[in-house]
Amino acid sequence: MSDRTGVVFDLGYKPYEGERLGRSGAIRAMVKDGLRRSFGIRRKARKKIYPWSMVGLALLPAIVFVGLAFAIGTLAPDAESPWGGHPQYIGLVGTIIILFVASAAPNLLIPDREDGVLAVYSSRPMTAWDYILGRVGALAGVASAFFLIGNLIMYIGFAALDDDGFASALIGNLDDLAKVLLTMAAYVVGYGAPALLVSTYAKRVGPAAGTYLAIVFLSAPFAEMFRALDVPGSRYGTLISVLQHPEVVRNWVFGESQSDTPLIAVGFEPWVSAVIIAVIGVGTMYLMARRYRREL
Amino acid sequence: MTAALAARNLGHAYGDVVALHGLDLEVPPGRIGLVGANGAGKTTLIKILLGILDPTVGNVEVLGADPAQDLITVRSRIGYMPEGECLPKDQTAADFISYAAELAGVPPRESRQRASDILTLVGLHEERFRYLGDFSTGMKQRAMLAQAIVHDPEMVFLDEPTAGLDPAGREEMLELISRLGEFGINALVSSHVLPDIEQTCDWVVMLDGGQVLRNGPLTGLTETGVVEVEVVDGIELLAAELQRMGVEIEEHGELLTITSSPGDPFLAARDALATTGLALRRLGSRSTTLEDIFLGEGTFDE
Repeated sequence: MSDRTGVVFDLGYKPYEGERLGRSGAIRAMVKDGLRRSFGIRRKARKKIYPWSMVGLALLPAIVFVGLAFAIGTLAPDAESPWGGHPQYIGLVGTIIILFVASAAPNLLIPDREDGVLAVYSSRPMTAWDYILGRVGALAGVASAFFLIGNLIMYIGFAALDDDGFASALIGNLDDLAKVLLTMAAYVVGYGAPALLVSTYAKRVGPAAGTYLAIVFLSAPFAEMFRALDVPGSRYGTLISVLQHPEVVRNWVFGESQSDTPLIAVGFEPWVSAVIIAVIGVGTMYLMARRYRREL
Repeated sequence: MTAALAARNLGHAYGDVVALHGLDLEVPPGRIGLVGANGAGKTTLIKILLGILDPTVGNVEVLGADPAQDLITVRSRIGYMPEGECLPKDQTAADFISYAAELAGVPPRESRQRASDILTLVGLHEERFRYLGDFSTGMKQRAMLAQAIVHDPEMVFLDEPTAGLDPAGREEMLELISRLGEFGINALVSSHVLPDIEQTCDWVVMLDGGQVLRNGPLTGLTETGVVEVEVVDGIELLAAELQRMGVEIEEHGELLTITSSPGDPFLAARDALATTGLALRRLGSRSTTLEDIFLGEGTFDE
């Protein structure tokens, strides 16, 4: 029997001669890192509490809506559901998306600056645009997932309860899915872009989240104030309502009533909100590029 | 052989403040020390080499490529350990080092393996699943070095790699830097601590006020060309003999220095010792330190 109890090997340094995935690999890595960071995956337990609470809150209404549709269908087959479908669910989940991106966007951007991690990105085969694409892609991914999963539960759940059969209901309601996707784009850009913009310039996560929430939620009362003002040109002030632009697009896409929305009440067409959302999105990307070109 | 780094008439200004002015450099592969006082332009030069800043005038080349023209090519061949921290507090060392490799295009599976290997190499194997926010200063410096080399770059820029380290940690970091050559990695080491450069580098670039003060191999820079002779007794006899041979000397008590000689100063000293029959205590070349050169106290010749 050998008297050796252990051997230490100095493996030294091994050069890497394998495949390199280039810029696309770097952007994919950033998106994956962003998804993990947003949901607190591979982080301490306290980092998971808020995002997963939001996930629970986002899915709960969809499950309740499908459950109610099942109960009403069983107990009173001829009755109309008082809760409605996708537009009503989107109205609820929209608020949860705002609360989620208020935390996710600052956590995606600010620690990279605060902890000096941008220096690592500046020594990797990527540009400032690649960094922005990676971070924007991650936020768009998580916000879209929030939006889609609940709507898919409803789409599949309602189809399963349909008297015409599951498959025919799925096909027959495809237009609902298309409307959901269109609305999703408006919500993700309309609520995600301002959160990214605030986080691009803010120095701390908490104040960034607070500032974003204040901008979004106070924009609606300010819009109401402009609506009430009887001054020439005050109607344009209603356009500041960051909160309501995605809702206007939702109502427009689903053909819902717009009567109590200040923008519509003062005579703007719904497409104006779609254009403003697009401008906010493009403007945010431009300002992010300006900010990060100095450091990357 | 392609120069590891080159600069031609390089200049950079932040508004009215000139950070670099008319820099001309050609530096061979190896371990290169970049020294200079605060505001000498070291960080500006590194940022230009990384492609973060564009030169106001002139151009640079890193491993034969200009970062202002070919950013991705340059960045795919380099690593960077910045002076300040660059580690996210809420990630484990293994996760972040693996992510740093993925950012350089290394596929995820290979990245995890390399992260594990490199963390072992820098002495953080046991701590690899700890959060970086819980690391000590020494452990952070090692993790920063790990992220700089995990993707196997051809050249790494190390900005003040021993900052904040205790003496033991400093020695370990210098040992790692000295080994980079074995790994086939060229290094540009920027430091205020001149003995660190003397210990780890074979070439030195000195910056002062945005201009190159010295640029050359370290051995050449620290050689003074002065020979020192010390004998057991009778230094005056030796001095007289050397002067008779036409050698210029200076006497410092029991020590005699040969500052200029018609031939090889060592041969002159040998012949004078043989003629006088004096017992030799010490004969050698006087070398100076980077600090002496930098402070202008050395006897360095251009």
